[in-house]
Parts: sequence; structure tokens; C-alpha cells
Amino acid sequence: MPAPAVPRPRGALLQLLEYQLLVARAFWRSFIIVGVLSPLLYVLALGIGLGKVVNRHGTDTLGVPYLQFVAPAFLVAAAIQVAANESTFPVMAGFKWMRTFHGMAATSLTPRQICDGQLAWCALRVLSNALLYLLIVVALGGAHRWEFVWTVPAATLTAMAFAAPVTALAAIVESEGNTFNMLFRFVVVPMFLFSGTFYPISTLPRWGQLLAYVTPQWHGTELARGAALGGLSPAAAIGHVAYLLVWLVVGVGLARWRFRVRLTK
Amino acid sequence: MSVSGATAEPGPLISAPLISARGLTKQFAGFTAVDGIDFEVARGEAFGFLGPNGAGKSSTMRMVSCVAPLTSGSLQILGMDPVQDGPRIRARLGVVPQQDTLDTELTVRENLYIYGRYFGMSRRVLRPKVDELLDFAQLTERADSKVEPLSGGMKRRLTIARSLINDPDILMLDEPTTGLDPQARHVLWDRLYRLKQDGVTLVLTTHYMDEAEQLCDRLVVMDGGRIVAEGSPLSLIAEHSTREVVELRFAPGSNGAAAARLGAAIAAGERVDELPDRVLLYVSDGEQALSRAHELGLSPVSSLVRRSTLEDVFLRLTGRSLVD
Ligand SMILES: Nc1ncnc2c1ncn2[C@@H]1O[C@H](COP(=O)(O)OP(=O)(O)OP(=O)(O)O)[C@@H](O)[C@H]1O
Ligand SMILES: [Mg+2]
Repeated sequence: MPAPAVPRPRGALLQLLEYQLLVARAFWRSFIIVGVLSPLLYVLALGIGLGKVVNRHGTDTLGVPYLQFVAPAFLVAAAIQVAANESTFPVMAGFKWMRTFHGMAATSLTPRQICDGQLAWCALRVLSNALLYLLIVVALGGAHRWEFVWTVPAATLTAMAFAAPVTALAAIVESEGNTFNMLFRFVVVPMFLFSGTFYPISTLPRWGQLLAYVTPQWHGTELARGAALGGLSPAAAIGHVAYLLVWLVVGVGLARWRFRVRLTK
Repeated sequence: MSVSGATAEPGPLISAPLISARGLTKQFAGFTAVDGIDFEVARGEAFGFLGPNGAGKSSTMRMVSCVAPLTSGSLQILGMDPVQDGPRIRARLGVVPQQDTLDTELTVRENLYIYGRYFGMSRRVLRPKVDELLDFAQLTERADSKVEPLSGGMKRRLTIARSLINDPDILMLDEPTTGLDPQARHVLWDRLYRLKQDGVTLVLTTHYMDEAEQLCDRLVVMDGGRIVAEGSPLSLIAEHSTREVVELRFAPGSNGAAAARLGAAIAAGERVDELPDRVLLYVSDGEQALSRAHELGLSPVSSLVRRSTLEDVFLRLTGRSLVD
């Protein structure tokens, strides 16, 4: 019998995505429900509800109705939320609970391919969720120019810049302690609150602004808001993208490294 | 099924060993789990690792499976180097790890299918292959059930079936039958025996002497990361034990005295071992030894004459029992 061919990198990626789709078949309803409900609730309650109050007191600082101000930022925040979920507990399950990554590592797949497959799946989830979000924002009147569609790649890039290092962290976690709870409580939620989602960070004290500059979310929010409302200089846009790419490249490097360490003990 | 030391080698070619390890060593943060072992496995052979918990069996299996790197020494598998050719070697191995790695959220069928996909096999090739393996594992009725609710033994059978999806040249089985009921074990032995007939090379670890005796042409006994003996089951018994063993149980507290009296009365080449719960006589003729014990005026609470097993070899070599 001829030896089975070793799949090329691209083949490996497709096979790993096929695996994720098989798993997702059981969850697609909840993906859709979360994907629809989250934008509906946020946009209705905060964009429109809270927006009424904000608009009544004048929106000089914002220059636009509140809904238009928050909608692109919400889209980025939702992408980060999906990415954080997808790159924590499922990754831990692959190493620890079900050990499926260890199963993959005994085939012709390499740890690096397994890592890339996980990240590619996360990107696909984030992208599809962002597209759904876009449709709902448009339906609710939150988008006012066609350039709003650029919020989708901006959100996907931002979410992956965050997901890649989180995936590396998830590959390190050995015990089922509360590393992830800490991550959500002390990183994801504060980042959501202090990265200019609800108000421009110019209203924060100086140290708050400096913290916001560090987070990928603020850069993503600036990009998305620039796409939705205009007024972002090309130089600033390039700067934000470059910063996010640094996070992404470093994060992917870290994740590949930790997958290799964990799968070749 | 009989135990045979050697199998007829087809063809006149003297084939190079499929697996060849020299000074194979594995350390974890300074702790030496595998301590410079040498072994070779020939094509078509069934080769076993026998040893107590922590002996280094799984660590060795993981290195040979090309999932864990060696700390030092050299290893050649299918004529290739695991460092250079890991994926190419793994493409031709089937691996049953000690701990299952099934996706419990997928169905039985999906687990088999997707594993084949990881090897780059096409859907067309996989469809009949999956059905065949479902039958092999006697899981056809549960094919579309999720893995989660399956019994431990069913999961184990699925893991073993899954390891065959790529028609491996070498099958690596780390405690394949732990957790299986006796009937399932016998069915599995039969399947493994047939795979061996088809030319698949088997490498397995086990705590069960009967399994080692049934399946292995050749085996090594490991203890503390080292190989302490090597040979066919029969030659190991012949070399390290006697033909028969008499097990004597005495009233609590009187084992020591009985063992001392027996020790003075046995022939050269025979041996007396005192265990916490019984006294063992390693002799060539068990019945004769038993009557000699009675002549000495000893009256054991119970007595048993049996053939020597690998367990006795193990006890002799390491002073410890295989299953603890
Ligand atoms: N990843 C690891 N990190 C640190 N130590 C390890 C690791 N894996 C194994 N060991 C240690 O190496 C030694 C050998 O373990 P191994 O799993 O190879 O034994 P084994 O013969 O398979 O035992 P068992 O019969 O219990 O399966 C043990 O002392 C174990 O604690
Ligand atoms: Mg083991």
C-alpha cells in the first residue's frame, strides 16, 4: 500500500476548519441567537434608549447622534467578546478536557498547523458574527454611509489581535482554576468600558487615556468609528492597523510556541 | 491461539528493523523517566513493554509515536528520523494513547471520519473505511450516537478503531485493554492477532501478563526507566524463573518460619520467596515440592501448584508485583 500523503499546510487548515464546522453543527442555533440578540439588545437599549438621553443634552462632543457614535464601537466590542470566548474554554478543552489537540498531534498534523487551525476558526467565527452585526445595525438605522462596511474587517483584525495572545495563554493554563474568570473580569470587561466605546477617551484623565492607547480595542474602535463617521486621517488609520498587526503577529508567534511546547512534552 | 517465539519471515531479505532505539532517554525537568534504553522492533513483530506504574512505558511510547522529542539517544522509525520527518512517520503510524483523545461532542462516526481527514484521506476513501472500522469495533449500532454517553470500554474500542483509519504500518498501543471487560479483551486480542497476520507491526504496553503472553513475540520488562530483561515470554520464564511455582499460605505470622524451614530443604536452582501474604516455591516439579513440604510437617492453610508466569519473572527481577 502506498504511504498516505502528508497534507500540505493549506490542506491541513481546511481539514481543521472542517472539524470545527462538524463541532459547530451542534451549536449553530446558539451562535445565531447570540449573534442576533447581542446587537439587538445593545443597540436598542444603549444606542437608542440611552441615546435619547444623551442626544437631549446635546452631542457637541460627539458631533453625531449617539446611536451612530456607539454602533461601530459595539460591533468591535462584540467581535472581541466572541474571540475571547472562542480562544479560552474551547482551547482548554482541546488540551485538557477532551484532549482532542493531543489526538490531532498524533496524526500527520503538526502543532503549528493545529494552532493555526484554531486561530483560523476563531477568525471565521468573528467575521461571520461581525457580518451579522452589520446587517442588524443597518436594519436599526445605525449606519449612515457605505464606508460603514469597513467596520467588519476592522473588528475582525482587532478581535484576532486580542485572541492570538489569549490563545497562547489558554495553551499554558494547566489547572481549571479561574485564570479565565480573571481575564474576563479584569481585562475584557474593563477594556470594553474604558476603550472609548461609550464616550470619547478625551473625557478620561491622562492615565486613563494612556491605558486605552495600549488596548487593541481602542485602536479598533477608532478605526471602526472612522469608517462609520469619517474624519480619520490616513496616517492615523495606518498607525492603528500597524499597532493591531503587531499584536496579531506577536500573538500568533506566542500561540504557535505554546502549542508546540504543550503538544510535544 | 498458541504462543510462538518466532514467526516465519517471508522472503529471503534481511529487513532493517522498523524501529531502532539506542540510548533512548527522556527527562522531565531533570527527572529521568526513560534512562538510556536500547531496543529494536522488526517488521511484522509484536513487541511489548511490561512494567509497573511509572516505569517509563508511556514516555517511551510517546517518543516512538513521534509526539514527544527525545532528550538524548537516537531513534529511527521506518528508516526515518523523528526530528526531521515527524509528520511523515506519523502518517504511517496508528496511535492508541493511554488516555483517550476522542471528541466527545461528535458522534462515533464523525470521530472516525475526521481523524481520517487529518491524514489527508479523501471522503470517498473514508466512507467505506469508516463503516468497516465501526464493524471492527462492534459500534455499528452506536454509529450516530455522541461519544460522551458511551461506556469506557466502548470509547476504548473506538480509539483503537480510529488508530487504524490510515492503515498504519506500525500500531502503537498504550494499555489498549485497560478498562475492557474480559470478553471485549478477547475479541480485541483476536483482532490484533489478525492485524499481525496481515503484516502490521504491533508495539504495546500492558500490565497484564496474559495479554503479553498472548500477543507478544518479544517483550522487554521495564523498571525505573531501564530495561531489566528482554526476550520471548517463554524464554524469559525459562531464563528467570522455574517451570512451576507452589503458592503456600500459612496462618498469619507464621510465613517467615515456614519459609526458613523450606529454604533449607529445596534443591539447587530452586528458590523460596516470602511475600506478605504467602510463600512461593520456585521449583521444577510442584507436586513433589508440595509433598516435601508436608513431609517437613508444615501444614499450609491453602496451597496451589501452577506454571511460572511473567509475573514471577517480574517479581524475581524487581521484587515488586506488576499490578499495584
Ligand atoms: N509530562 C510529564 N512531566 C513530568 N513528569 C512526567 C511526565 N510524564 C511522565 N512523567 C513521569 O515519568 C515517569 C514515567 O511515566 P510514564 O507515564 O512513562 O510511566 P508508565 O510506565 O507509562 O506508567 P503507567 O503504567 O502508570 O502508565 C513517571 O514518574 C511520571 O511521573
Ligand atoms: Mg503509561
